[in-house]
Amino acid sequence: MIPESHFLMLGAALFSIGVFGVFTRRNAIGILMSIELILNAANINLITFSKFSASPDGLGQIFALFVIAIAAASAVVGLCLVISIYRNSKTILVNKINLMKW
Amino acid sequence: MNGLIQLLNSHGIPQDFVIKAAFYFIATLTLVFALFVVLSRHIFRAAVYLAVVLTCIACVYLFLDAEFLAVVQVLIYVGAIVVLFIFTVMLTADIDSGTFAGTLRRMSVAAVASLAIFFILFKVINMVTAWKTAVPAGVSINLSQLGKSLMTGYALPFEVISLVSLAALVGALVIGKAEKR
Amino acid sequence: MVNLAHLIPVFPFAAFVVNILFGRRVKKFSAIVSISASVVSLCLSIYTLVCFLKGQGSYSLFEWLIFGGVSLNIGVIVDPLTCMMLVVVTTIGTLIQIYSIGYMKGDTRFSRFFAYMSLFMGSMLGLLLADNFVMLYIFWEGVGLCSYLLISFWFERPSAAKAGMKAFITTRIGDTGLLIGIFILIFSAHTVYFSELGNLGAGPLFTAAALLIFCGAVGKSAQFPLHVWLPDAMEGPTPVSALIHAATMVAAGVYLVARCFVLFSSHGAALITVAYIGGITAFFAATIAVVNNDIKRILAYSTISQLGFMMMGLGVGGYSAGVFHLMTHAFFKALLFLCAGSVIYSIGTQDIQKMGGVFRKMKITGLTLVIASLAISGIPPFAGFWSKDEILSEILKNGHPFLFVLATVTSLLTAFYMFRLVFLVLFGKSRSEIHPHENSAVMTIPLSILAVFAIFIGLVGSPFMNNAFQNFIYPHKVESMKPDYAVMGFSTLLAVLGIGVSYLLYIVKINIVPQNVRKVFVPLYNLVYNKYYVDEIYAFLFIRPTMRLARLAFKFDLGVIDGTVNGVAKLTVILSKIAAWIDRYIVDGAVNMTAKIVGIFSLVLRRTQTGYIQTYLLIAFFGLVIIIFVKLIIGG
Repeated sequence: MIPESHFLMLGAALFSIGVFGVFTRRNAIGILMSIELILNAANINLITFSKFSASPDGLGQIFALFVIAIAAASAVVGLCLVISIYRNSKTILVNKINLMKW
Repeated sequence: MNGLIQLLNSHGIPQDFVIKAAFYFIATLTLVFALFVVLSRHIFRAAVYLAVVLTCIACVYLFLDAEFLAVVQVLIYVGAIVVLFIFTVMLTADIDSGTFAGTLRRMSVAAVASLAIFFILFKVINMVTAWKTAVPAGVSINLSQLGKSLMTGYALPFEVISLVSLAALVGALVIGKAEKR
Repeated sequence: MVNLAHLIPVFPFAAFVVNILFGRRVKKFSAIVSISASVVSLCLSIYTLVCFLKGQGSYSLFEWLIFGGVSLNIGVIVDPLTCMMLVVVTTIGTLIQIYSIGYMKGDTRFSRFFAYMSLFMGSMLGLLLADNFVMLYIFWEGVGLCSYLLISFWFERPSAAKAGMKAFITTRIGDTGLLIGIFILIFSAHTVYFSELGNLGAGPLFTAAALLIFCGAVGKSAQFPLHVWLPDAMEGPTPVSALIHAATMVAAGVYLVARCFVLFSSHGAALITVAYIGGITAFFAATIAVVNNDIKRILAYSTISQLGFMMMGLGVGGYSAGVFHLMTHAFFKALLFLCAGSVIYSIGTQDIQKMGGVFRKMKITGLTLVIASLAISGIPPFAGFWSKDEILSEILKNGHPFLFVLATVTSLLTAFYMFRLVFLVLFGKSRSEIHPHENSAVMTIPLSILAVFAIFIGLVGSPFMNNAFQNFIYPHKVESMKPDYAVMGFSTLLAVLGIGVSYLLYIVKINIVPQNVRKVFVPLYNLVYNKYYVDEIYAFLFIRPTMRLARLAFKFDLGVIDGTVNGVAKLTVILSKIAAWIDRYIVDGAVNMTAKIVGIFSLVLRRTQTGYIQTYLLIAFFGLVIIIFVKLIIGG
């Protein structure tokens, strides 16, 4: 019914929106949210390929499962870092956190 | 998905149209709310929009006959991660930190970058002509199969994932520890 | 009999070396060194003469060079002419050096004087002993050098320095002729030995060679037209004039003609040229001496005149006559010069018009002067009579009437001017401010010894001794030599006439010529007094163009060569300025530009180091996109 390419296109669009968000948002948390979007787009792709593939082993779904786990772990650590930064410099706007500038 | 199809068939509703319409509706919703996530000024609203996006994606998983994963998505992503985001937003009290990043210049550059990658992906997808429209016959994945393969064939990644989770836990604890006065 | 002749010049050369190197420390001693070397040479010369009389001949020492097909041996010639000349030169040289101890006393360069004297003695003796033209020429130049050194001995006086240069340059002209003559002999006859001159045979080439060799003699013996240096050479100290310019060096020219007599006699044209040049010179110089007022210059012109006599004698074929006169002239001319030196030393002036009455105070000098004057005038039995008479009779015998007239007139003039000198200097009222007094023994004893020679030396060639000298010198003469009484009487008459006229003019002081006649002679007097303007003619013809050429060359050197050097320097400065400009603007500019480019780049690239993570991510992402894009387009 729904061709494979449409799912992939959905994934691609979501990916590019996520990329746009990573480069645009000033708030650190916003960046992390955009990263979640990217990961989800990848998940969509994986599950699509698993569904439309010939072998019945569900590899894509397992992979997507692992991706979700990893995404969760990364989100946790990222948010902790954000809190730590907020504690140190009282701001979480990335354009104010530029200590790595020469 | 098969059950839904049978349900529709029994009522005589043309399944093609309905399913297609539903899919496109959900897809549009996903994209729109994703845009909201990215463009909204208030971080809290962005978090909420993120929740909506994630739920829509769970619906997309349903279209793909990945029921287990849809449930896992809702449970983990919406139920835990978005909550975590909201916690952090609350803790860092810059709720109305005003405009999103900057300048028109940065936005246009970022737009160029994202459009570029979208264009590339579009091209790649169109280059392959043999996309399948229907599921190959005799392929069906069920949960018990998934569970079995998870425990036997992919046991190693499973264990590694648990280690990763442990590491994340410990790391979060260490980083998030308040400094002693 | 041992061959010791080649050692004769060695001792004076050794004395020269000692005096030059150590003279400054042993001032008085240098004279003793020179004189003892001279005495040793004298003894060796006498020994050589004895050996020759006992039958020894020429010998060669060793082979030196091979060139132009000729093999040159260094050898010694031992024949009558050389033996006689050796004894004469060493004797006179020794006596004059003893005299110089007194004359040069107190001079700051005393030892150098004796060094040069020794060098001259060595060179002259070497010249006499040379058995080939090359050795002769070497010593010829040596005596020329010593003449130059000694003439300009008191070089603080510009006139002395100029006189030295004049002597050297004038004799050089003669020496060039001699050299060309030697070259002709080498390249056409392939010989340089005197002994082989008889084998040459006649021919115009050898006539030319003979004439060119005579050129050298003309220069060295101050014959016309190269006589101009000898009067100016009187700037040197009087012992120098006595030794070099009276007795020995100027005699070298006559010696050369005598040595090459075989060559001359087989080419009649050359021989007659010798005679005529000798005759003209003799007359010409005598006329100048008549009106000159400088005591030394009178004697200088007298020397030129007597050398002309000798050339005349040789030129008409009278070999022994010419050589005889050479020997006698050496003694009395040396004596004349030493007397003049004695007078100059005590009075302080050389102008005879300012002297007078010297005889009263300087008896020995006066007496010897008179003896010498009698000798040169040809009064028997003094030395000059015999030799001059020989020459006159040879001229007459060989049929040269014009030359005979010249010779007799010259003899008359000789007697006249010599006694003019004697009367003006020695007798009459004293016209000088300084009162003369006799000099020390070191100066008067040589005078006396030479006077003895002047009296008696002529007798060895006189008929009283059967012309022993002539037979000794020229053993080939077969006919016997009968004394020619007519000529003897005639020449004595001339001499007495000359002395008489001189006495009348200068002692009695009668005016034999009336006043208006005298006026006619004034231009002639001026001509003769100014030496026939020969020096001025030479200056106009030769000296001025040469100086102009020299000035031109100097300007060329200054303008072109110095200009080139300066130009090169300026070019270097310009090049260096260009290099500096290049260095400052181009090289430094390049360096600065590199820095500026780096600065510009850094200004641009600094923007990438924003410190914002999003920027870094963006850049990384763009890189990824570009890679994928490229792979897509190219990979397909």
